[in-house]
Amino acid sequence: MAKIKLENVSFFYGKGTAYCKEALKNVNIEIKEGSITGLIGHTGSGKSTMLQLLNGLSTPGEGKVYLDGVDIWEKPKEIGKVRYRVGLVMQYPEYQLFEETVEKDIAFGPKNMGLSNEEISERIREAIDFVGLSPDVLQKNPFDLSGGQKRRVAIAGVIAMRPEVLVLDEPAAGLDPQGRDVILDGVFKYREKTGATIIIVSHSMEDMARLCDDIIVLSHGEVVLHGTRDEVFSESQMLERIGLAVPQITLLMHELSARGIKVNNGIYTESAAVEEIARLMKGTK
Amino acid sequence: MVNSDSYIKIENLSISYEEDDGGRTSVLKNISLDIKKGEYLAVLGHNGSGKSTLAKLLNMILEPDEGKIYIDGKEITDPNMTEDDVFELRKKVGMVFQNPDNQLVATIVEDDVAFGPENLGIPSAEIRERVDEALRVVGMSEHAKGEPARLSGGQKQRIAIAGILAMKPDCMIFDESTAMLDPLGRRDIMNTIEKLNREHGITIIMITHYMDEAARANRIVVLDDGEILMDGTPAEIFEKQDKLRECGLDVPQCVGLVHSLKARGINIEGECHTPAACAEAIIAALNKRDGKN
Amino acid sequence: MKSISLGQYYAVDSPIHRLDPRIKIVLAVLYIVIVFLCSNIASMALLLVSALVIVLASNIPIKIVLKSVKPILFIIAFTAIINIFWTKGEGAPLLDLGFIQIYSKGIVNAIFLVTRIFVLIVGSSILLTYTTTPISLTDGIERLLGPLKKIGLPVHDFAMIMTIALRFIPTLMEEADKIMNAQKARGADFTNGSLIQRAKALIPILIPLFSSSIRHALDLATAMECRCYRGGEGRTRMKILKCRASDILALVAVIAFGVAIVCINIFAAPYLPF
Repeated sequence: MAKIKLENVSFFYGKGTAYCKEALKNVNIEIKEGSITGLIGHTGSGKSTMLQLLNGLSTPGEGKVYLDGVDIWEKPKEIGKVRYRVGLVMQYPEYQLFEETVEKDIAFGPKNMGLSNEEISERIREAIDFVGLSPDVLQKNPFDLSGGQKRRVAIAGVIAMRPEVLVLDEPAAGLDPQGRDVILDGVFKYREKTGATIIIVSHSMEDMARLCDDIIVLSHGEVVLHGTRDEVFSESQMLERIGLAVPQITLLMHELSARGIKVNNGIYTESAAVEEIARLMKGTK
Repeated sequence: MVNSDSYIKIENLSISYEEDDGGRTSVLKNISLDIKKGEYLAVLGHNGSGKSTLAKLLNMILEPDEGKIYIDGKEITDPNMTEDDVFELRKKVGMVFQNPDNQLVATIVEDDVAFGPENLGIPSAEIRERVDEALRVVGMSEHAKGEPARLSGGQKQRIAIAGILAMKPDCMIFDESTAMLDPLGRRDIMNTIEKLNREHGITIIMITHYMDEAARANRIVVLDDGEILMDGTPAEIFEKQDKLRECGLDVPQCVGLVHSLKARGINIEGECHTPAACAEAIIAALNKRDGKN
Repeated sequence: MKSISLGQYYAVDSPIHRLDPRIKIVLAVLYIVIVFLCSNIASMALLLVSALVIVLASNIPIKIVLKSVKPILFIIAFTAIINIFWTKGEGAPLLDLGFIQIYSKGIVNAIFLVTRIFVLIVGSSILLTYTTTPISLTDGIERLLGPLKKIGLPVHDFAMIMTIALRFIPTLMEEADKIMNAQKARGADFTNGSLIQRAKALIPILIPLFSSSIRHALDLATAMECRCYRGGEGRTRMKILKCRASDILALVAVIAFGVAIVCINIFAAPYLPF
């Protein structure tokens, strides 16, 4: 069974006013339990809206959102429980830190869940381990940390709720390669250890190519592609047409094709490209 | 390069800051650098390598502990500089920051672009001309009367660039100006920067950690732990893939590919840091194999 | 993203929209004075006509204009009722409920008062907020108060603060929304609990919002400095406000209207019932 399912979901901003805008149009998707699904689309394509529907921060204008086959809005009073099960890390989450110590900040979510102190401190340790922070940051003031560290504290604050579904909105935005790797590795580890379902938004096709099992492409509020990583990247021309950055390797394949060299246009990883070019050099033109 | 005169000269520059426990952490260690007029320079480095500090020193937001900086022959680190001298120098070196929201002052696009020239005390009619021209260069003329709050990140950043451009600077520093943008916004800004350099002869210093952006410059300086680790053309820099990886940086995918091919005994020669250049190089290699030239 | 429109500015073109903001501020002040000068039924009638003329000249739908009165409807009703019940008139009351008497003077007073408040709100909001962007309003205030710079009042700084505040309201509102959602995603509850609990629940929003405001402010200050800002001195402006014939005409018209009201007050009063 699908972990998350959106059925005929539409969402409007400013309904009933002159500014009414349809942010999502009749979206139907199913997300497999335990998978890492990438969500891509340009700014304003409806990605952030979709994320906020998954944990009940927004209510769909039309349609239903299911978690484990149950409509999350069946009991509106219990939407809080859904938010613990579907953990959402928003964009630039470091700007939501507010406590005096890292430990207290990470504890905010688990405390709201009503967990015992022992349970909370165990979860805090586990969470900082996932994001690669050492225990001695726990007593520090989060405002004294570097930007990349703050980001990791914020992500730990969501992981500490041990969500069954971890949703991340551009977790690596603005970080350097090292900072990005630590966070993406942490997300991967979390999935491996807990079997959680991961949904991740990123502008970097390189990251998507590396991390995701499945990819959903949104454009102007509609799902235009949804499939395995291979299936989606083989549509690279379509991705480019809707204004997404395809990996450089794929662009190289396009450049070669444009110059009359027969290559597979759907290649998106370095290792596949090495094989392709090695084949090219061995064969005849 | 327009000519080979040095426009910015940095000599033995060091800066450190004080830690809570009273100790000092150095951010830049004895850096010397010569930037020529009309150059398009990328400063690469991971977060905390000291690259943003360098930008702040060039714009006199920070003062160095030691060393000197000359801009257009004038020493900006001179302690006897008057407020007017600072004013004159800031006119020449404009700065575009990371968060477009924190650079825009006015609620109407053209008013914001006019802010700089207004501060310079330029007559009203000329400000009008400069604002219109600057907006045209960045391709935002149609939004002149719009509100920044309704624009996308990339558009806001182009307004910020126009605001600097309207002050007619010789040099522009971009301090991770694309870090908060989506791919489309990044592409727009990169194209704009290139245009400013090529068509308007503006010296560009671009601080970034994106390799594909650095690859478009004519020269790259790699900073690591406050020191200049490498300095050369993109081709020269990307040659040393391992060294880059050591200091936490990637190489463009195409460059990585060429390295991996080399490991397999396939040699691709020439510049490979953009897909188009790499495709040409691969075709050249194919032709060479076939005995063609 | 939410579309946040600042203030009540209604973007259409009209003779009033095109007036110089300085003139509009002066006109609004004059108009307010005139509203209080009206003291009898004839001048009140003329006042209503003038309000209608202003509304029509502004090209703003009457429906939208009436919306601006809605929030203060309660206050208008309340003052009207107080006037009706508490005004003691001469002669016999119109209605005597024993504990309270209603005189015709009370009713007249109430009608006059309601008309005044109504015209005051409609007139000043059309002259100012509906037809002038906040930024040009600030600009107008700065230039009108310009002479006060000579006695050392920081007029420019005040205007700059206003401008920046206006510029950052949408940014901070968006940010507050994001932070609120982020904390809700961690189980924060802003709607249930006692008043103290709810006030406490705001801390996770206020602290990040406060720190981000400071961050914006520091960054903005640096950016402004890099753009050669050093206060109002030596600064020129791209847009020079010019008083045109239409501005003078509007000023003359409003003054003439004021004179007419005063004349009616003095000469027509003896012949009117109220």
